[in-house]
Amino acid sequence: MLKIDHLTKTYGAKKAVDDMSLHILPGEIYGFIGHNGAGKTTTLKCVAGILHFDTGEITIDGSSIRKDPVKCKSALAYIPDNPDLYDFMSGIQYLNFVADIFGVPVSERQERIRRYADTLALTDDLAQPISNYSHGMKQKLALISAWIHNPKLIIMDEPFVGLDPKASFLLKEMMRAHCDGGGAIFFSTHVLEVAEKLCDKVAIIRQGKLIRSGTMEEVKGDESLEEVFLELEAN
Amino acid sequence: MLKVLLRKQFTEVFRSYFYNRRKKQMRSKGNIIVMFLLFGFLLVGVLGGAFTAAALGMCAGMAEAGMGWLYYAVLSGIAILFGAFGSVFNTYASLYLPKDNDLLLAMPIPVRTIILSRLLNVYLLGLMYAGTVMLPAMIVYWIVAACTAASVIGGILLFLIVSLIVLMLSVLLGWVVAKISVKLKNKSFLIVLIALLLIAAYYFVYFQAQQLIRELVVNAATYGAQIKSAAFALFLFGRVGEGDWLAAAVFVPLTAGLTALVIYALSRSFLKLATADRGGTKTRYREKAVRAKSPFTALLVKEFRRFKSSPNYMLNCGLGVILLPALGVFLLIKGDDILRLIAPMFGGRTDCAAVPLCAALMLVANTIDTAAPSVSLEGSSLWIPRSLPVRTRTVLAAKTTMQLLLSELPMLPAVVCMAIVVPASPVEKLLLCLLPLIHSAFAALFHTFAGTRNPMLDWTSEIVPIKQSGAVTLALLGGWGVVLLFAAPYLFVSAYIDMTLYLAVWAVIFLAASALLLRWIMTKGVEAFEQL
Repeated sequence: MLKIDHLTKTYGAKKAVDDMSLHILPGEIYGFIGHNGAGKTTTLKCVAGILHFDTGEITIDGSSIRKDPVKCKSALAYIPDNPDLYDFMSGIQYLNFVADIFGVPVSERQERIRRYADTLALTDDLAQPISNYSHGMKQKLALISAWIHNPKLIIMDEPFVGLDPKASFLLKEMMRAHCDGGGAIFFSTHVLEVAEKLCDKVAIIRQGKLIRSGTMEEVKGDESLEEVFLELEAN
Repeated sequence: MLKVLLRKQFTEVFRSYFYNRRKKQMRSKGNIIVMFLLFGFLLVGVLGGAFTAAALGMCAGMAEAGMGWLYYAVLSGIAILFGAFGSVFNTYASLYLPKDNDLLLAMPIPVRTIILSRLLNVYLLGLMYAGTVMLPAMIVYWIVAACTAASVIGGILLFLIVSLIVLMLSVLLGWVVAKISVKLKNKSFLIVLIALLLIAAYYFVYFQAQQLIRELVVNAATYGAQIKSAAFALFLFGRVGEGDWLAAAVFVPLTAGLTALVIYALSRSFLKLATADRGGTKTRYREKAVRAKSPFTALLVKEFRRFKSSPNYMLNCGLGVILLPALGVFLLIKGDDILRLIAPMFGGRTDCAAVPLCAALMLVANTIDTAAPSVSLEGSSLWIPRSLPVRTRTVLAAKTTMQLLLSELPMLPAVVCMAIVVPASPVEKLLLCLLPLIHSAFAALFHTFAGTRNPMLDWTSEIVPIKQSGAVTLALLGGWGVVLLFAAPYLFVSAYIDMTLYLAVWAVIFLAASALLLRWIMTKGVEAFEQL
C-alpha cells in the first residue's frame, strides 16, 4: 500500500529524514514513534505529498507521489498534528468541500457524514462555524473528513492529541475497522501505550534515521515498547 | 507591568520595520532607515503637505478677520474626523480581537493594565492621524498669525484635547462594532455596510467641507459671528488654540474627565466583550439536500466563502465591485461635463477624452485585488490544498477566477455606461468596452502572480496579508503603473494616432501580457506554491 524507499529530505544543511525505507501492507496499522524533531512529521508530509523530498521514492498503491501526486492523493487522507481547518466554513461545508474534491457521490457522503459524525458526537455542531470549534472538535471534523472518502491509506500526525477519552476509544475502533476492511494506517504518536496495543507494526525514528522497525513483537520482544524506546534513545 | 506590555505592543506594531517576514530575517540598518523614511514621507510629506496647504489657504484671512478661533475649530474638526474614522476598525481589532487576549488575561496582570496598554496603542494611532492635521495647523498659525507663549501653549493644549476626543470617539465606535459583532449572525456584511456608510459619510463631509471652508474664508466675519452666538462652545473650543486661558480651563478638565469616564465604562465592558463567544446563536445541524461540485467549483466556492467571511478582505480588496457600477452611473449623469473638462488636454477633442475615462475604469478595477493576498491567506491551512488530490494549477485558477468574476461582472455595466456617454464610432465604442474587460483579466492574472511570488504565511492578523503585504503593494502599485503607461502616452500621441489603433494596440499588449502571466502561473507559480 505504501512503500518508502531510501527517502531523504534536507532543510538547508540539516538532514530531517535520512535514507529511510518502510513498507506498509493493506490491513496494517503502522505506528511511527520518535522524540520531538526526530523527523516524523517531515516523513508524513512527504508521504502526503505536501513536502517535496531530495532523493528516494514514495509509492502509494503502486503510483509514485513524485510522478503522479494527484492519483496518490486520491488514495490517501492526511490529518496534521494541529488541524488548522478553514475557519470561515461551517463543519458541514468543510465536509462537503472535501467530498467534492474527492468526488464522493452525494448519497455516499451523506451516509458517511451521518455515521461518523454520530459516532464522534459531532452531528449537532456541524452547522457551526469551524472558528467556534474547540481543538478536539476540529480534530473530530478532520477525522470525519479523512474517513468521508474511504481512502486506502490514512496518514495521521498525533491523532489522539486533544481528543477526549471516549473519542480516543472510538478513533481506535475506527482505525481497526478501516484496516480490517483492507485499508492501511500510518500514524505518529507519543502515546506509547496506544501504539503498543493498537499497532500491528511500529517504526522508531531518531535524528531522521530509522533505527528499528517491524512487527510489535519483533521491535519490543519481551519488554514494553516504552522500555525499548527509552533504551534506543539512550544509546 | 504596563511598561512590559507596551514594549510587547510596540514590538508588534513596528515589527515589519525591523523584520523581513518574507526572508525571515532581521532587516539591515539601511533597510530600516529607508522603511522609516518612506513612512515619514507618507505621513509628513503627503498627508502633512496636503493639510499644510489647506491651513495656509485659511489662516491669514481668518486671523486678520479676528477669526483665529474659527480656523482652529474647523481644522480641529477635520482632525477629529480624520483620526476617529481612520482608526475605528483598528480600535475594534486592537481592543477586542488580539490573539493574545486570553494569554494576557490568564496572567497575573490587572485587566485595567491590559486595557491601558491597548488604549495607548489606539491613542498613538489617533494622535498620528490627528497630528497630520493639527501640527501643520499650529505651525502655520504661529508663522502667519501669532507666535506668543500663550498661542504656543494653547495650540499644544488644543492638540492634546483633539487627540483625546479622537480616542473617545474611536473607543465608542470600536465598542459599537464589537457589540454588533457579538450580537449578529451575518456580521461580515453588516460591518462592511457600516464601513461603507462611514466611508461615504467621510467623503461627503470631505467634499462638502472644501466648499464650506471656501465659504468660511470668504465670509469669515459673518459666519464667525453666527457660529459664536449659536454654538458658543465651539467658539470657546477654537479659542483654546489661540491661547485663551479661560477656554483652556474649561476644555482641559472637561476632556480629561470625559476620557476618564469612557475608560471607566470601557473597563466595565471590556472583559465581557473580549471574551465573548462571537459565534452568534447556535444553530443545530439538520441534513439538507446538497449538490456535488467539481473540484474546481468546490475550490472557487471556498474562495468566495473566504471572501465574504471577512469584512477586512471585502473592504480592502473588493471595494471596486461597488465603485465600478457607481462610476458607470456617475458617468451617465456627469459624463458630458467630465468630457468637456478633459477635452482641453487633447486640443478640445471630446472623442479623445474617452481614453482617460477608460483608464479611470481600469484604475478602479485594479483596486479589486482579491487574488493578491489569496495565497498568503491560506496561512496555516495551506496543508489542505497541498494534501488534497487537486492540481496546484486548479488551486491557483480558482483564486484568479474569483477576482475575474468580481471585476468583470461590475465592469460590464460600467463600460456600457461609458460607451453611451463617449462620442465615438461603433468600432471605437466596441474597443472602449472590450479594453477594460481585457485589462480586468490581465489584472486578475497579475495579482495572482504577485500573490504567488510574494507569499506571507506566518501572519497573526489577516489584515497583514490583506493590507500590508508585498504582494498587495506590488499588485496595487504595479497595476496602477500599468494603467498610467496606457493613459499617459496618449496625451502626447493623440494628435497623430487614431484612437481605434491605439486601443487595439493596447488590447494586444494586455492579451500578450496576460498570456505570459498565465504561462508563469502555470509553471513557475505552481512550483512556487508547491515549495511553500
